[in-house]
Amino acid sequence: MTEPSAESAGRARLNRLLPPLAILAIAGIAYHLTTTFDRVPPILKRGIQPSDFPQLVIGLIAALSIWLLIRGRESAPRPLPSVVWVTMAVLLVFPILTAVDLFLALGVSAGALAACWGERRIPALLLVSVLIPVVVFLLFDLGFEIRFPRGLLTNLWYG
Amino acid sequence: MDALLAGLLALADVELLLLICAATAGGVLIGALPGLNATTGAALLLPFTITMDPVAAIAVLITIYCSATFAGAITAILINTPGTSASATTCIDGFPLAQRGQAGRALGMAAVSSTMGGIFSVLCLMAAAPLLARAAYNFAPPEYFALTLFGLSMLATIGGGSPVKNILAGAFGVLLATVGIDLLTTVERFTFGYAELSDGIGFVPVMIGVFGISELLTQASNLHVTRERITMKAIQLPSRADYAKTWRTILRSSGIGTFIGVLPAEGATVASMIGYNEAKRWSRTPEEFGKGAIEGIAGSEAANNSATGGAMVPTLALGIPGSPTAAVILAGLMVHGLRPGPTMFTEQAEFAFAIFWAMLLVNLLFFAVGLAGAKLFARVTLIPVTILWPVVFICSIVGAYALDQSMFDVWIALASGVVGFFMRRHGFSVVPLAIGLILGGMLETRLGQSMVMLDERWWLMFARPLTLFFLVLTALALFGSFVWGWARRRRTAGSTGE
Repeated sequence: MTEPSAESAGRARLNRLLPPLAILAIAGIAYHLTTTFDRVPPILKRGIQPSDFPQLVIGLIAALSIWLLIRGRESAPRPLPSVVWVTMAVLLVFPILTAVDLFLALGVSAGALAACWGERRIPALLLVSVLIPVVVFLLFDLGFEIRFPRGLLTNLWYG
Repeated sequence: MDALLAGLLALADVELLLLICAATAGGVLIGALPGLNATTGAALLLPFTITMDPVAAIAVLITIYCSATFAGAITAILINTPGTSASATTCIDGFPLAQRGQAGRALGMAAVSSTMGGIFSVLCLMAAAPLLARAAYNFAPPEYFALTLFGLSMLATIGGGSPVKNILAGAFGVLLATVGIDLLTTVERFTFGYAELSDGIGFVPVMIGVFGISELLTQASNLHVTRERITMKAIQLPSRADYAKTWRTILRSSGIGTFIGVLPAEGATVASMIGYNEAKRWSRTPEEFGKGAIEGIAGSEAANNSATGGAMVPTLALGIPGSPTAAVILAGLMVHGLRPGPTMFTEQAEFAFAIFWAMLLVNLLFFAVGLAGAKLFARVTLIPVTILWPVVFICSIVGAYALDQSMFDVWIALASGVVGFFMRRHGFSVVPLAIGLILGGMLETRLGQSMVMLDERWWLMFARPLTLFFLVLTALALFGSFVWGWARRRRTAGSTGE
């Protein structure tokens, strides 16, 4: 009985420490980058140097992260269901597919999302993967005159 | 007076009126869908407004804001799931009433109190915004800097989460606002050699990401949730007895909601909580609350809808968003090249009053749409999430692309969505991030201008009464709850010791 609670306590501690540590790491990198900003001569600096304001904000972020490290409450969020990871994988694959065609990528990703979330009806899958992307494309192209990046499918329309 | 009439005339256009009617129906639809709210809806629809003229574009966004806030009550009453977080307190009494077979009565009261609260707040907006703008007309950069800082400090109380986490998220948003070429010195910052980052990170893709795509991921983790749905025969207008029981509550909640809405960053959610609590506190039958008290619905709905008008006061008069959705509307104003602030009421008075009239019209329209179509809109809760959220995904991606026709913005939206999801999972609200991003640029510019004006002697800010006033308010907003808690603990310890 003690093993799961120890595991849960470990997860809660990790959950408390991980976000502030990650933020501190980002703040450290951001601070380092601010030291590489060009400095302007006093006559042109118009009140503050370009690095002053970001450094002030990074200082605040670091201070609040340290506060969270020391005083943050421990809580263990329930583990993410596998469908969330699958959804994220779809979001990750989407940019790769856009290299072929944006609307092909949208149709495939939307269809994949629906299927991963448990949709099995073919008309519903066709609706989200074919009909809706086509309607959205036509609405933006004809209605708002937005030109989308050329690709395998959009070339059929643009010629 | 001329501007007031000119604003009304600007709305006297059939196409615009039809657009507002369609947006009202769209807003009610968005508000009725669990998971979608006014902020997400406005962020997703913002790119659709880019080709419209500014009056039409902002009228559409405001229509979505008002009607979606009202429509949150539909799902709150019928499926015990608030369509928007502002309707969470409506569930407490709305759903028990629906379970007793009085869903139509509950929805009728929600429609009436929402409309009355909304109209009350728009009238306050019409009176207060020009006055506030006139008062702010002579603000110098130090006053603006302190006011913006106060607006950001109010983020601490957003969403009822940890104030430290909220401020941290807000500061992160401000840091993101520094990406790009510094306007004062023309030095590139955090651009990593990408030309797309020279103009900074666009707030529209970030908003679409943190409100739309992160919600998609959140919904993915809630797929197992099933909801009990109550059927409704028809919506009923409140009876004379219901009016007699609730008119004081509606008036009180309207006042509370308008006031809460005016406070920077505080929105309808906080207003509805306070409105509901006050309705219970002043009720002759507080024991009925939670079991289907009609006053509970009136208190919550009048407050959350009146917060919409209140929230537009600082948004239009000072350029400081009064709520998360107002932040999206502020972004919409900027996208259309409009400068919210005191000058709006002198240089674009006709536009400002057209917006006021549009808000007044919307409050009447959603009442009509709500009465006529509540039964139909209740059916949208049956749309499967497996269809709804892939459609939201498509709209998010195309919306992020459409504004500047840039794939880089699509990557920003995707990255913001994933970051936003993990932020929410670890107890950070994404609203401060979005507001910090919008106000960050303004804060830095005003600080730089103040330093030039004060000859780099920043401590002179404390010698300016209004600046000092806003800085004290900022300190109170940031540390008030800590000091109050500490004092209370000391008092409790003292009395225990005695």
